[in-house]
Amino acid sequence: MSGICRSRLAEERKQWRKDHPFGFYARPEKKADGTLDLMNWQVGIPGKESTPWEGGVYKLVLIFPDDYPSKPPKCKFVPPLFHPNVYPSGTVCLSILNEEEGWKPAITIKQILLGIQDLLNDPNPESPAQSEAYVMFKKDKVSYEKRVRQQAKENAP
Amino acid sequence: MGDEVDKKPDTGAVEHINLKVVGQDHSEVFFKIKRSTQLKKLMEAYCDRQGKAVTSVRFLYDGERIQPTNTPNELEMEDGDSIDVMVEQVGGSL
Repeated sequence: MSGICRSRLAEERKQWRKDHPFGFYARPEKKADGTLDLMNWQVGIPGKESTPWEGGVYKLVLIFPDDYPSKPPKCKFVPPLFHPNVYPSGTVCLSILNEEEGWKPAITIKQILLGIQDLLNDPNPESPAQSEAYVMFKKDKVSYEKRVRQQAKENAP
Repeated sequence: MGDEVDKKPDTGAVEHINLKVVGQDHSEVFFKIKRSTQLKKLMEAYCDRQGKAVTSVRFLYDGERIQPTNTPNELEMEDGDSIDVMVEQVGGSL
């Protein structure tokens, strides 16, 4: 059933440990008995330098379905993030994470996290997921940026 | 066998692991360290080589700060794992 899923996730973890983009982390959660829960990962994405997101490391959980990698993981900011393309629940709305749009089984966890990092400072106003960040982004860029900088401070590691 | 000199079994390779330390400029420095050795030793050696003060940087493994007294065993490190070094920073001081 989930044989492919588990072996793929174990391999992803192995590759990640050897090499990962600077400042990121991605680790499976630990179960109460100390073993790894490969279906649920805790990850951190740093804001890019020279953007208002700089200085923050934004935390997410990645929840993998049993039919991963046929289906994409659910990526959720914890706590929810102030960003036009993040739902109030924290779930990221991104084409490569949508099985009907850009998801491909070959997309690695590294690519997902780099994709979300790109999205931070490059939101898509055509497809808003929360009204607060969207409205501010459209109407008042100065306040929007100020709020983003504040959020970066709150998420400094 | 008699009383010979106490000698630990030669476990060689399994005793040591290779760790990669990656800097903000993407430079990579490799270290070989005993699994039971405190990482303080690696941190100091790295800073010495880079000409940095130990207090000016922090070492992160899996997103968490490494304490000088931690050992690879404690952190369940594996051969080939990488560690990120970041410049110490304090937010909100502007």
